[in-house]
Amino acid sequence: MKQVKMAHRLLLRTVRSLSVKETRCLPTCTRITSHSAYSTSLRSAAHRVSFLSSSRSLTRSSQRKVSFNVQDQEDFTERVVNSELPVLVDFHAQWCGPCKILGPRLEKAVAKQKGRVAMAKVDIDDHTDLAIEYGVSAVPTVIAMRGGDIVDRFVGIKDDDQLDSFVSKVIGQ
Amino acid sequence: MPPVEKDAGKNELKSRIQQLIDANQVVVFSKSYCPFCLKVKDLFKELNVDCNVVELDLRDDGSNYQEMLLEMTGQKTVPNVFVNKTHVGGCDKTMQAHKDGSLQQLLNGEAEAYDYDLIVIGGGSGGLACSKEAAALGKKVMVLDYVVPTPKGTTWGLGGTCVNVGCIPKKLMHQTAMLSTAMQDARKFGWEFDETVKHNWETMKTAVNNYIGSLNWGYRVALRDKKVEYVNAYAEFIEPHKIKAINKRGKETFYTAARFVLATGERPRYLGIPGDKEFCITSDDLFSLPYCPGRTLVIGASYVALECGGFLAGLGLDVTVMVRSILLRGFDQEMANRAGEYMEGHGVKFIRKFVPVKIEELEAGSPGRLKVTAKSTETNDLIEEEYNTVLIAVGRDACTDKIGLGKVGVKVNPKTGKIPVNDEEQTNVPHIYAIGDILEGKWELTPVAIQAGKLLARRLYGGSTLKCDYINVPTTVFTPLEYGSCGLSEERAIELYGEENLELYHSLFWPLEFTVPNRDNNKCYAKIICNKLDNERVIGFHYLGPNAGEVTQGFGAAMKCGATKEQLDGTIGIHPTCAEVFTTLDVTKRSGGDISKAGC
Ligand SMILES: Cc1cc2nc3c(=O)[nH]c(=O)nc-3n(C[C@H](O)[C@H](O)[C@H](O)COP(=O)(O)OP(=O)(O)OC[C@H]3O[C@@H](n4cnc5c(N)ncnc54)[C@H](O)[C@@H]3O)c2cc1C
Ligand SMILES: NC(=O)c1ccc[n+]([C@@H]2O[C@H](COP(=O)([O-])OP(=O)(O)OC[C@H]3O[C@@H](n4cnc5c(N)ncnc54)[C@H](OP(=O)(O)O)[C@@H]3O)[C@@H](O)[C@H]2O)c1
Repeated sequence: MKQVKMAHRLLLRTVRSLSVKETRCLPTCTRITSHSAYSTSLRSAAHRVSFLSSSRSLTRSSQRKVSFNVQDQEDFTERVVNSELPVLVDFHAQWCGPCKILGPRLEKAVAKQKGRVAMAKVDIDDHTDLAIEYGVSAVPTVIAMRGGDIVDRFVGIKDDDQLDSFVSKVIGQ
Repeated sequence: MPPVEKDAGKNELKSRIQQLIDANQVVVFSKSYCPFCLKVKDLFKELNVDCNVVELDLRDDGSNYQEMLLEMTGQKTVPNVFVNKTHVGGCDKTMQAHKDGSLQQLLNGEAEAYDYDLIVIGGGSGGLACSKEAAALGKKVMVLDYVVPTPKGTTWGLGGTCVNVGCIPKKLMHQTAMLSTAMQDARKFGWEFDETVKHNWETMKTAVNNYIGSLNWGYRVALRDKKVEYVNAYAEFIEPHKIKAINKRGKETFYTAARFVLATGERPRYLGIPGDKEFCITSDDLFSLPYCPGRTLVIGASYVALECGGFLAGLGLDVTVMVRSILLRGFDQEMANRAGEYMEGHGVKFIRKFVPVKIEELEAGSPGRLKVTAKSTETNDLIEEEYNTVLIAVGRDACTDKIGLGKVGVKVNPKTGKIPVNDEEQTNVPHIYAIGDILEGKWELTPVAIQAGKLLARRLYGGSTLKCDYINVPTTVFTPLEYGSCGLSEERAIELYGEENLELYHSLFWPLEFTVPNRDNNKCYAKIICNKLDNERVIGFHYLGPNAGEVTQGFGAAMKCGATKEQLDGTIGIHPTCAEVFTTLDVTKRSGGDISKAGC
């Protein structure tokens, strides 16, 4: 069982890093250094995606899932803090009406970027310590992380255009 | 840059002082003429403790000492007291430490290095208020909160009873019920809508609990922002200055503090009859019940019983209240009975002078079917009846029996589990304080717990002397017809002052809002109790009518200012309102005059 999963993961990793690399080799990649940095970051990003979908069938998991739910502190460190792709972290709560509107909108904005940015979802009641640590006071709060640093954040609801420009700014286009 | 020699001299002085501190159990840096120093020296004499006194005014280098002490302790004044290498402070600090027991502890050589200045046990209304205030005053504070699940498995978040299973969901569900009345009235005012009006329990429950979720989060954030350390664990004393905290995974952690505040609140009492814990619910379960309770029996006539029974009936459920003796023990009985009559007139059934003896399950389900057997309190009559839900509301027990109070010697009333405190919320153990619902002989209300907690922190750490005033606390029972009161009940006033020394003014009134729908005429009632020996000062205020909380709050302020009947009469009313009735009360109860009202 474990081995099968491993195999899936390895296979996915190759598939994913290939496809993502293609999308990334755009005119924006100007410097060699940044290029090599990208490839490592892409590999780790791909690893995370495959890790998430490891319980699913291979065919299903080849569809890109835009966001993932943070499981615990360790998971957050691995997939958000240590991510070399920028990550948008959507701190939300079940009891929060606006969160239910913002979440899908943000996913849409992230999907448009075709893998240049990841999106993590943190339920603040399940992961209170994380939310407290990251200074969340009201929900929804979205923080943008890059290389483990918070580079931007906003609180409350935004429309599609505002989200697009927020996401683009984070990616640094 | 100071010259090197001076530095060397300074270092030499510093180590000389340090040696003094290290080598002696008690060192008092003093001035021979200073009365505060004398007081401290006398204290140690009285305690039979040898103390090494350095009279700074009698030494040539006294002022250097004083400068160095300032550098070492941040304190320039004398006396400057050290006990077992620990800096205690000046006269006030030393006296305070003597009072709260920490001085003795220091003298006994028990390490003074506590983890916290203050640990608050219980993160409810009182505990949160106290811990936030203490932290705002610069203290290192921890608050522990842990909810033990009910026998049905219900549990909830941070904030205590009021937010999760008390005031907040209660008032919101009461509001839900009031909207039904408003809808019926609406037709009389010309609103037309389809006949099929029904209520969806699940929608209400989810909406209410979503709001509570946001409040839980708000409390958590406030603790972070105020720098209060929060631990989600059950606390119990193991030593006078040490607690054990057990989290939900069973992990034990230990913490110490110089002082403690107990704010553990209460939990619903069960009946101790067959089937009660297995099949019945309490208010702790009701507000998050996943299904509509259906035909409901409420046992007890406490305010929790009448409020819950009231709103359930208002949602259209078949509700019966089983009363052992009287309604709302402790409240003005005339008012309690009028509130009860109104409920009876609006579909709530009352079974009086009966107590349940066993509860059996006929059918499991959500809700299931239960059979209740009850016995008369006067005869040997037994009755049996079926209900979907049985809600027990026969009072609440203080959570003081499983927190190790015996180990540290905190006195608890063995009959009630309540903790007696002095007028500064201090228990018999000087460094342990208590606030909120667990106090003996005090009000069990959220704003009281908050006020007591906040003022306690200010007295302990902010140099304040202001004490919590438990007199003339306004309150409201949110029965279908709401009942607000402040001050004494008629019974208690008569007991305290004698009937002949009181004048009672009263009146029925008909809220304008009720006139068009033509309902509930002469059900609303206002009464004040005045002390004839004291200029007809108002010592009891009672209001049965809409928006009782809103009405009573302001009169509570007036009573705090010592309002008299004459001042009420001199106040101009706001027309058309219900509250204005208090500005025109002219029928005394003893006159037997007509109090019914018809319009303006
Ligand atoms: C149904 C209902 C309706 C009410 N309605 C009103 C109202 O309308 N207005 C009003 O003013 N008051 C109302 N009250 C009363 C009000 O809720 C209480 O007076 C108030 O909550 C008391 O505050 P407290 O700080 O003493 O305790 P609580 O708020 O009960 O908080 C105590 C906390 O300590 C926790 N705890 C207990 N033991 C431990 C331990 N060993 N370790 C860690 N944590 C522990 C408990 O789980 C709880 O969270 C109502 C109460 C009920 C039950
Ligand atoms: N304004 C206020 O907030 C206010 C006012 C009054 C009191 N209080 C305080 O609030 C506390 C809790 O209030 P509460 O209303 O939950 O409780 P409560 O005042 O103690 O009332 C308990 C109710 O349950 C009934 N009861 C008790 N044991 C019973 C049994 N075995 N079988 C049937 N009925 C039983 C009592 O009937 P009996 O009357 O027959 O005993 C009473 O009606 C009280 O301890 C009181 O000090 C607050």
